[in-house]
Amino acid sequence: MKKFSLHPLTWWIWSLAIAISVARVNSPILALAAVGVMGVIVFTQREDAPWSKSFMWSLKLAVSILLIRTFIGVSIGVPIPGTTIFTLPILHLPHWMPGIRIGGAVTSERLTMALAEGVIICSLLVIFGAAASLTSPHRLLRVLPLYVYEFGVTLVIATSVLPQVVTSVGRIRQAQRLRGQKTQGFNSYIRVAIPLLEESLARSLNLAAAMDSRGYGISRLRSRYRPIPWHIGDSSIVICAVVVLALT
Amino acid sequence: MIKFSNVSLIYPHSTTTVLENLNLEIAEGEFVLVIGPTGSGKSSLLRLINGLVPHHTGGILAGDVSVDGLSTREVKPGGLAHLIGIVGQNPLHGFVADTVEEELSFSMEAMNLAPDVMRKRIEEALDLMSLNSLRSRQISTLSGGEQQRVAIASALVMHPKVLVLDEPTSALDPIAAEEVLSILHRLVHDLSLTVIIAEHKLERVIGFADRIVHINGDGHTSVGTPVHIMQTSSIAPPIVHLARALGLVDPGLSVRDMRRMTEPLRESIPLQAPISSPPKVHAVIEIEKLTITYDEKKALNSVSATIYDNEIVAVMGRNGAGKSSLLTTIAGVGAQASGTVRIHSVDSKSLKGKTRMRTVGYIPQEPSDLLYAQSVAKECSQADNDNQIAIGTTQDLLNQLVPGISMNAHPRDLSEGQRLGLALSVVLSSNPKVLILDEPTRGLDYEAKKTLARILIEFARVFDRAVVIATHDVELVAELATRVIFLADGDIVADGPTIDILLSSPAFAPQVSKVMAPAPWLTVHDVVSALGSSN
Repeated sequence: MKKFSLHPLTWWIWSLAIAISVARVNSPILALAAVGVMGVIVFTQREDAPWSKSFMWSLKLAVSILLIRTFIGVSIGVPIPGTTIFTLPILHLPHWMPGIRIGGAVTSERLTMALAEGVIICSLLVIFGAAASLTSPHRLLRVLPLYVYEFGVTLVIATSVLPQVVTSVGRIRQAQRLRGQKTQGFNSYIRVAIPLLEESLARSLNLAAAMDSRGYGISRLRSRYRPIPWHIGDSSIVICAVVVLALT
Repeated sequence: MIKFSNVSLIYPHSTTTVLENLNLEIAEGEFVLVIGPTGSGKSSLLRLINGLVPHHTGGILAGDVSVDGLSTREVKPGGLAHLIGIVGQNPLHGFVADTVEEELSFSMEAMNLAPDVMRKRIEEALDLMSLNSLRSRQISTLSGGEQQRVAIASALVMHPKVLVLDEPTSALDPIAAEEVLSILHRLVHDLSLTVIIAEHKLERVIGFADRIVHINGDGHTSVGTPVHIMQTSSIAPPIVHLARALGLVDPGLSVRDMRRMTEPLRESIPLQAPISSPPKVHAVIEIEKLTITYDEKKALNSVSATIYDNEIVAVMGRNGAGKSSLLTTIAGVGAQASGTVRIHSVDSKSLKGKTRMRTVGYIPQEPSDLLYAQSVAKECSQADNDNQIAIGTTQDLLNQLVPGISMNAHPRDLSEGQRLGLALSVVLSSNPKVLILDEPTRGLDYEAKKTLARILIEFARVFDRAVVIATHDVELVAELATRVIFLADGDIVADGPTIDILLSSPAFAPQVSKVMAPAPWLTVHDVVSALGSSN
């Protein structure tokens, strides 16, 4: 499919509108549909760049949040009457904690409710993950005003260093495997995390120094080498976003 | 142009001063080379120029540094951006944009220059650095040499008067390094740009330098012309060591000078081949029809080779020729590959855990990837533990390899050479059958390289092991390798004894051999022993 060259703000506006609609309608089915739509857009429009992986990352994160949230929602909290699916042993809490119950009967109502809430929250995450996936953070930075210098520096560092972190993880794990270390389990995370943290910190400082010595933030005004144009395509996507917002 | 007056620098929590009472004036259009052992403060000196030290790093600075009349006390690094272009050690770590053009425009946009000025300057910079064909490419897809050129171009668009470069050729192959340096030379001569450069591989840069600042590591510095400094400096390229060994009055700084000075000598020495390579007895690594593909691009193209014990094989080739892919695949952790690699008849991919450790030792490009403990002592005991060997073995090994490392130091605080030594002792403590090193000389000074060569030669000779090393450093290869495999675009284009391969290519020939041609000598040691036996 043809890839459109769009203004970096376009997909963010679109995602924001979709996210507001999902939150307003509060329906898990609509939320899932929105995730599906974003998925189609991402897979047809994204470029082959480090940040385009952020959709998959946000999807993975969302699934794990959903699982944890559902588990907690089912096992802790006020019981909701309904059809019992199975019963967990009840953990007895001291008397000064009334109204809270851990374990007990798991009803299908309770499960669906926990799931439905989780799906909506997680879909918001995925929608913004999709927007991040579709827009080059560097291009986005160029259209954002330069009022907040620190914010700009942070954004550049986060977006440049994070993709590098992903490649570093692979490299360090490979090195550790060669040292005969296991790459599964909690300890392996510590072994990877320490060199990784050191490296990312050093890199961030380097990058901040580089930006500083190149005069970033010295002038309060910023000129544009090639202004990023706003096309009809951008307008139509934004109009669609507004229509979706109005309908919901 | 640049004036250091009574500059002293000390970092907090450090007992040694980095610089002590440095007085230095650099004139416009000078090419100044900063040399010194690793960790002696070369980078600090460079970063003092635009005030990154101490504005960014902390540290106590006495005295004053001023550039074109602006003192770094009063102006922050950004305020000097129009005067000073700074290119860091690894350009990839300093890039802020996606494409070459956007990267070039970054600092001009930040300085709010008018669009038509920017257009003009970008065209100029692209032409100057011959980057025109790459202007809309993604920076991450460029080769190391191209990235270095982009970094220099993005500094040049500001029309700086001073260009500061920290080890600009350390990651580059000899040809790409030559490209970058000749561009710098042209800038100095055509635009009267002031260039300050720190570099370990003196053989590459010394011919271009007008003056040398030698940092001794204890805070003292000596400044002088290359001839002057090279008379006494312990840090010297092989060509200077050759001049000293031959007892010449002047240290020759270029191959041309040295050839002129050694003409009578060369005619008098009989041609004599240096020691031949060890016999190939037991095959250790057998590589058969190895093909590696990344995203439809072939990194290796049906490569076959056999490596024997007692061999030190240098894998050479331009950046991106497939060296790292070959090495990781030999170690058995590479990407999907077709074909086989067998180490002592065992498929390297099937190696696991402890068996792998005892079969293959691998030092990655960043030796610190292997390290994760909080102190050198813990790192050593962890290695003892992993290998189930007597407590203290690794530590003893480390003391043999690089003496004088504090056991309580954090691995991160060691110098590059010490860190490599630690990684080496951790890997060697399991006594692997094969040792693989991926570009170990990045950031190493001559002293550390000498130690490395000694360790590797000992390991191969004493234990009858095979060593495979990927490197751009021809001088190191000349010192230690018995065989060179030359990769280009995923193919082995040459494979043979070091002497044949290095002498057949002018770009990869070491300095000594260029001076002594047609005699087949690669190192100062070769020449001296040939001279000794002929007398």
